[in-house]
Amino acid sequence: MKKKIIISAIAVVLVAAIALAVFLPGGAPAAADTYTYRTYTSVSPSNWNELTYQDNNDTQIMSYIGSSFYSYDFKFDANGEPVPGEFVMKYEAATKLEDTTAKYAEKWGLPADGKGYSYTITLREDLKWDDGTPIKAEDFVYTMKEQLNPDFQNYRADSFYNSSTIIYNAQKYVKQGQTLETANNCDWNEYVLADLVKGDDGVYTQPNGKAIYFSLSEKFSYCSGYSVAQLANYFDATALAALKNLADESGRVAITDESIELWKTLINTPAWGNEDETCLPQYWVITEFEIPAMDFSEVGIFVGDNEYEIVLVLEKALDLLKEDGSLSYKAAYNMSSLPLVHKAKFEANKVAPDDNNSLWTSKYNSSVETTASWGPYKLVSFQTGKQYTLERNENWYGYALEENKGLYQTDKIVCDTVKEWQSAWSMFQAGQVDGIGIDVSIADEYKGSDRAYFTPSDFVSSMQLQSSKEGLKARESDGINKTLLTYQDFRKALSLAIDRDAYAKACTTSYLAGFGLFNTMHYYDVENGGVFRNSDEAKKVLCEVYGVDWTKYSNIDDAVADVTGYEVNLAKQLLTKAYNDALAAGDIKETDKVVLTFGTASVTDIFKRHVNFISNAWIEMAKGTPLEGKLEVETAEKGKTWANDFRNGAYDICLGGWSGAAWDPGYFLLAYLDPGYMYSMGWDTSSHMMTFTMKGVGENGADITETMSLMDWYACLNGTSGAAYDWSSNALEESQRLQLIAALEKEVLTQYYSVPIANEFSASLLSYKVEYITWEYNTFMSYGGIKYMKYNFTDAEWAAEVAAQNNVLDYK
Amino acid sequence: MYMFKYCCKRIGLMIMTFVIIIVMCFVLIKLLPVDTTTVGIGEDATKLLQQLEARGYNKPIPEQLFLYARRIVLNGDFGICVNIPEYRNRPVWNIFIEKLPPTILINIYSSLFAVPIGIALGIFAALKKNRWQDHLISTSVMVVISVPSFVYASLILYLLCFKYGNLPMQVSSLPDIVAAYPEKNLQYIPETFNWSLYFNSKMFVSMIPAILSMSFGSIAGYARGVRAELTEVLTSEFMLLARTKGLTKSQATVRHAMRNAMVPIFPAIIGEFISVMSGSLIIENIFSIPGVGGLYLSAINAPDYDFFMLLSGFYLAIGLAAGLVIDLSYGFIDPRIRMGAK
Repeated sequence: MKKKIIISAIAVVLVAAIALAVFLPGGAPAAADTYTYRTYTSVSPSNWNELTYQDNNDTQIMSYIGSSFYSYDFKFDANGEPVPGEFVMKYEAATKLEDTTAKYAEKWGLPADGKGYSYTITLREDLKWDDGTPIKAEDFVYTMKEQLNPDFQNYRADSFYNSSTIIYNAQKYVKQGQTLETANNCDWNEYVLADLVKGDDGVYTQPNGKAIYFSLSEKFSYCSGYSVAQLANYFDATALAALKNLADESGRVAITDESIELWKTLINTPAWGNEDETCLPQYWVITEFEIPAMDFSEVGIFVGDNEYEIVLVLEKALDLLKEDGSLSYKAAYNMSSLPLVHKAKFEANKVAPDDNNSLWTSKYNSSVETTASWGPYKLVSFQTGKQYTLERNENWYGYALEENKGLYQTDKIVCDTVKEWQSAWSMFQAGQVDGIGIDVSIADEYKGSDRAYFTPSDFVSSMQLQSSKEGLKARESDGINKTLLTYQDFRKALSLAIDRDAYAKACTTSYLAGFGLFNTMHYYDVENGGVFRNSDEAKKVLCEVYGVDWTKYSNIDDAVADVTGYEVNLAKQLLTKAYNDALAAGDIKETDKVVLTFGTASVTDIFKRHVNFISNAWIEMAKGTPLEGKLEVETAEKGKTWANDFRNGAYDICLGGWSGAAWDPGYFLLAYLDPGYMYSMGWDTSSHMMTFTMKGVGENGADITETMSLMDWYACLNGTSGAAYDWSSNALEESQRLQLIAALEKEVLTQYYSVPIANEFSASLLSYKVEYITWEYNTFMSYGGIKYMKYNFTDAEWAAEVAAQNNVLDYK
Repeated sequence: MYMFKYCCKRIGLMIMTFVIIIVMCFVLIKLLPVDTTTVGIGEDATKLLQQLEARGYNKPIPEQLFLYARRIVLNGDFGICVNIPEYRNRPVWNIFIEKLPPTILINIYSSLFAVPIGIALGIFAALKKNRWQDHLISTSVMVVISVPSFVYASLILYLLCFKYGNLPMQVSSLPDIVAAYPEKNLQYIPETFNWSLYFNSKMFVSMIPAILSMSFGSIAGYARGVRAELTEVLTSEFMLLARTKGLTKSQATVRHAMRNAMVPIFPAIIGEFISVMSGSLIIENIFSIPGVGGLYLSAINAPDYDFFMLLSGFYLAIGLAAGLVIDLSYGFIDPRIRMGAK
């Protein structure tokens, strides 16, 4: 009897569980006649405070609860269809932008005839927070004061002194009270010779008695970020040698009458522009410098002539307006908005210093209660690590605008945190999520779906090859050689051995073969739609780097179409040549194997797939060469420090790249030339010389031919202080700058320390429930976003549609 | 009295062990290098150094340890999450207690489901030893034990939530629960336990896939354990004696065999209930359960000192307490066992 009871109990429990599973109503959200956009994230946002947010996860919510002064919009054709690749500029929360440099030049010491140093932004008068509180210029000024508040040291404060938008005195205000062990005189204090006090020993000091020196080793912004010692070729050699004798171990020279005379000789050379003694303070470093206290009224942001005017004074000019006074694309690029916090809520959520932290912190914008919105949506629920929901902010000015009629159809946005892609994929197929990225596991089945779309990225996946000979040598052992990697022919062989097209197909979901440092997302001339990779100059670079003789083609397009970057026979020849050269130089022995270490943060299956492809390509290339059977690739796991380990020469190869500044490739070359950013730091770009002729940039359109280091060319290209020429976008036409950008790209590519192999694309599926305004990606507007999103179903209709499909939607 | 002394001694040792391990954890995690060199283009590298300085990272480790202990004792302040993006700038204790309830509930539901079924299957298999029922159960148990739980989770997600069933694919969010029961005037208060929001049918139903996923392994484990113990006990001589003195097979099994067989099983059950506060990273990820499963790993990977220390201390305390409770529990199931008795 008991036996039967036990069996019955088990049976009942199991049947009940399964029945519950099968017959319970579905997990879909309650439906109504509303339009809900359901999305997911693998990492929940945590802190959407504009002053302190740290990563892209946090910006998820910020993009819905904020507004911009100006924005890009689609350019529509006569049929109302977006014109591919084009855009228009529009005023949004601002109604006017004026260059007021002349008005404030005297008071703020701006160049009297300058442009772009001061702007006045006039706000709409109907701006409100979601609780109805009006927003005026003083709110932006208050927010900037909090943004730069030295008691907080907010994470985003550097956006206003370490970026293209440098607000006058912002850095000095943020860092007031801090003591700098050493600082460049002109960056922080600006003593002149007459200010210094001569001691009994003949050494000059600061008026406060603290030391002040000339420096041969300090990197001065005045010298484009170089030290005097690094720029020795420009200075008087005799004076430099004498100063080196006077210098201490750290390159400092005490300021005495003798050193002053020597320094005057040092800089009085034609190559350095025959500077006189008034320039001496540019080369001083001050010690134990306490940054003085500063009132916020000295910072370049304040309320203008009326309560809706924000006036900005900048240390570096921005060209936000075109000649005709209309908005330049840079208005939305450099200053789409300024940070804004709700004053009352922000004050209420400040957290005083404690044992945990000696700085003030804030809980503002970290929960529903602490969040304020001045954008189209407001946060209505948030559960950490689980879900957040936004609904219409009825107090948003934009809903009343005629131009927005019929737009912003979405009533509600629900975002779930789903960490496993497989779970999200099931939810997408069941109609519970309205968009999803295509994982490589389903790529073949779904890439052809009519709901699939492909989004390009400015990220170029590149193979970084070690350039530190010392690092390579140090890791060699008996019979194991790595020094061959220092041979340019060998690196070129490694590049040409990879079939980039096959690589992209085999190892990624939707990447395409990549050949240049820049791809089709990089614009050299945004205003006129100038895509760098589509320019003739950039096409010639690819042809020349990858061995396609473009002069033999009827046009450059045909030539560049033949670039594959895959030349195994040439690779074999280069490999053999490099090997023989190394053998002759004693850098390799005949019995040696070449073992290259491919490092990464974590050796995952995906990483192995990439490395196996590349490794097999190289092994195949080595066949029939002296390295046949003697070229090997091993993997190494380097954790979070993988990038710095590589920079320090700790292993041989990594996959890495950069994204950002896609509309300023001239600036972005920094990532490939500046040791502060380069992966392969062993290559000294400050001594690598390049001879190049800049056409039509001299007087009366003459050409200028120069031989300079790559960093000097870079300094000229960006008009950095101290550069030989100012060829920044403020001084030259973008089409003229293009030639130098292309030349520098070619120079970097032909070193083969950074070898591009694939351009990033992401593949996604869009639910049947919603439609974008266009399936063609627009650099400025993406696919139109939530603003232009249209719905094929209301929530109720969608629930019925999903049920009619037995909860499984077919997207093949 | 000897039990009391034994308990006091064990608790004293427990505290000492706790302090030693916690100090070791604190020192070792603080010895890990902090990456202060990685900044993006346009970022001021000094801001990270300033933040570290402000948070006392540059003070000597003993001083940091003292300050850490002081702020816990005096203020109940376990610190702020700094490096885990999802919880950055939030008090680690608040995050932890908000994430405990779903983990605890799913574990408890799973245990309540698995323990009776597992034991019943084990008893049944033992009673049917070497017959087809036993072979069927034993083989199934081996299969189930051999397959990791995330495989069940994936299968359950696919079969019961997606392809053939209507179970929710993810555990309900607390704001959804509040919205689902407007008449109850429920309130979601961030960074608190929110227990009241977990006891309703919508939440329970949304937990079923996770409960089932976590149960299969336990059911198989208990079935195998009970079968093995009971089989051995059933063949003991005292069972023969029990039958010869006139007890039926059922009476002998329930009164004598079961009690002896449960000696190793019962502590395992207690252990399972004690460990309800540790979540399964994979199950929680698959069903989007906002539990504590992945916290420890995240805290180590980040690394986030305050989260790491809180979780280390918490789970260490639980583990040490569980050891004591399990040891004491032997005495309840078998009076002949007395811990600490000479």
